[in-house]
Amino acid sequence: MTSQREITISPTTRIEGHGKVTIILDEAGNVSDAYFYATEIRGFDYFLRGMEADRLPFIISRICGVCSTAHVLASVKAIENIYGTEITETAKKLREVLLMGQIISNHSLVFFFLILPDFWFSKEEDPSKRNAFQIMRENPEIGRKAIALRSFATKILDTIGKREVHIVSAIPGGLISPLKEKEREELLKAAKEACAITQEAVSLGKELFEKNWEEFRKAGDYKTHYMALTEDDATEFYEGKIRIINPEGAVYSEFTAQDYMKHIEEKRYEWTYAKFACLKTLGCQKGIVQVGPTARINVNRKAKTEFANKELEEFKRKFGSPAHATLLFDYARLIDLLYACERTRELLEDENITRTDTRVKVKPKGGIGTSVVEAPRGTLAHEYTLTRNGRLKSIKLIIPTQVNSAAINLNVKDAATEFIQKGEIKTGLLNRIEMVVRAYDPCIKCATRNVTDGLKVEIRNQEGKLLKILS
Amino acid sequence: MKVNIVSLTCCAGCVSSFLNAGDALLEILSQDFDIVYSPTFVDLKEVPQVDLAIVEGGVRTEADEKLIREVRAKSRVLVALGICATHGGVTSLGNIISVKKLLEKEYFVLETSKLPELEDLMYPICNFVDVDYYIPGCPPMPFLIVHSLKSIVSGKTPIRHQSVVCTECNRKIIAAKLDRLYGIYDKEADPNLCLVSQGFVCLGSLTREGCGAPCPRAGFTCFGCRGPTDSLLYRSRDLYSFLVKVISKRTSIPEEEVKKELYRNPFIFHTFIFSKFERFKARERII
Repeated sequence: MTSQREITISPTTRIEGHGKVTIILDEAGNVSDAYFYATEIRGFDYFLRGMEADRLPFIISRICGVCSTAHVLASVKAIENIYGTEITETAKKLREVLLMGQIISNHSLVFFFLILPDFWFSKEEDPSKRNAFQIMRENPEIGRKAIALRSFATKILDTIGKREVHIVSAIPGGLISPLKEKEREELLKAAKEACAITQEAVSLGKELFEKNWEEFRKAGDYKTHYMALTEDDATEFYEGKIRIINPEGAVYSEFTAQDYMKHIEEKRYEWTYAKFACLKTLGCQKGIVQVGPTARINVNRKAKTEFANKELEEFKRKFGSPAHATLLFDYARLIDLLYACERTRELLEDENITRTDTRVKVKPKGGIGTSVVEAPRGTLAHEYTLTRNGRLKSIKLIIPTQVNSAAINLNVKDAATEFIQKGEIKTGLLNRIEMVVRAYDPCIKCATRNVTDGLKVEIRNQEGKLLKILS
Repeated sequence: MKVNIVSLTCCAGCVSSFLNAGDALLEILSQDFDIVYSPTFVDLKEVPQVDLAIVEGGVRTEADEKLIREVRAKSRVLVALGICATHGGVTSLGNIISVKKLLEKEYFVLETSKLPELEDLMYPICNFVDVDYYIPGCPPMPFLIVHSLKSIVSGKTPIRHQSVVCTECNRKIIAAKLDRLYGIYDKEADPNLCLVSQGFVCLGSLTREGCGAPCPRAGFTCFGCRGPTDSLLYRSRDLYSFLVKVISKRTSIPEEEVKKELYRNPFIFHTFIFSKFERFKARERII
């Protein structure tokens, strides 16, 4: 009997941006393919052409309101790369604080508002209640913690970035103004409080994670390459070398930001507005790479700060290295969060950070420049070609979600295969698919800066006929 | 009060900004403000009937258009949050190239059955539905969002901001004697003087106040993310010639020369308001 059915999850909720999942069934009603894809497009790569270099960073930050700081920093670094500008140590420190503010802002949002409801509520819970606002109503203390961490990140971005979303202070040559001593003291005090709250959040996250681990480990375990920035084998966000490890954990290649595009290539598919990215040398079948929180731990041996390093070691002991289970992204993200708080405190304890030499003069010229930073979701690369008159000739951006897209799709297919057999759809499919997709914290806004609708799961037959939309 | 938070084509920065409101956010959540639908935070998949809908983002795809019409039909009050929803935003810069060209160059010819069709342009939402309040900004500041929402929740009209960013900037305006204009990277700004008086092309004199002037206060030029102010929404006012006069007065550079410099880059004013915008209807509802 042929059971021709079609499933759509629409919209996929608790992720940033508009995504959709389509599952295609074969004649027998088994899964033949599954896609997670983006349904929006904005055209950044095109309309930026011809733009003057000094307008690029602030317009490019509009690609994504959630990780705008990472985009601004990647952008100014790429321009500095073309100009041949070396910024001062003070500016570098302040930019790293900004990037840590970005990580705290994003990870506290993802943990408390997007992920926590999956850990907190039982699967039987009424879906209309399975959200952060309900947790806050039941447990106002958690709400206060979430808001306190968000507020700390906001304070960093506001004080040093001069705006909390779409910062303006980072410009080619450094930072527009120095940090005042009074501001440093206030931020440092807030950083100490934030570190304490984060440690509580990590304990809570670990407790809930361990309770569900037997269930979580079944959700997907895909052995791929991993990529992240590294410096002396330690996690690094602002600068350093890019390291790729193979699925067994051995170093596959290591290179500088300038060579990024030589190692990673983009591939486009007709069914999504987001382009995929994979290893050039192995192609898009074998060269699947994952970036983000788990990748940062897999690629590195240690973290520079005390408590984050302890957690990192415990993580490696418990889950092996490299760790592969998809939902570990949620666990690893907490270690990132702890690192970001500790590192912020460390940088602010350095009194030299208030030195006034935050800016050097730039000498504009044409050329090609590539830069890489670790954005909340993983390795982010910007490459610009500027004309002699300082205008943008071409632009190439490779965004973490593009790199993770292949792995997300494999995970979605695995989940679909487990839950759909002979045309029978077991309950829990929707929840499982959304959880694996959510673990990657995909940012569809970023992946589709080119032309964007909510996550949908569609089930189609081989002829493409829509059979069912899951919602 | 039941609330929907809806995202169309955007960068999600406006909802991020709302979440940055800190204690004020907790306060509003503890009051009669029940977020029942929001794909970013809540698992509900169908748009419910509500008292208030907050919409970020503009209309780029047919799916956006369908959604905004549904949201309008199901809400008593509709607030356009952020410059994409109110004026088209940065994404409307994409209007300079045709959709066909964009897709052909960047993608294969797409199989449209799987992806939503694109509109010919990026539109602000007022092109499709009635909007009760507009809160422009890229993104609007958290305090501005919270203040406005508090008023709306208690049934009052939010305070309007009708003047220009210069009124919120503490820099001193002088008639300087300069021989050319400067890009923001060209030199360091004096911390006390008006940026235009120093030869930078700052859009504060054209742009709606209400943000607290964070950019020019920090020494970065205002780039107009709150959109044009009330007086500039009259058809007779030309943004170009207005700014040319302001710059010429504050720098003593002849108007002709300022014009030449400004006309070189059409994006100077229209970074956020490139889309079509029905400006007359909306004026008294812009917060």
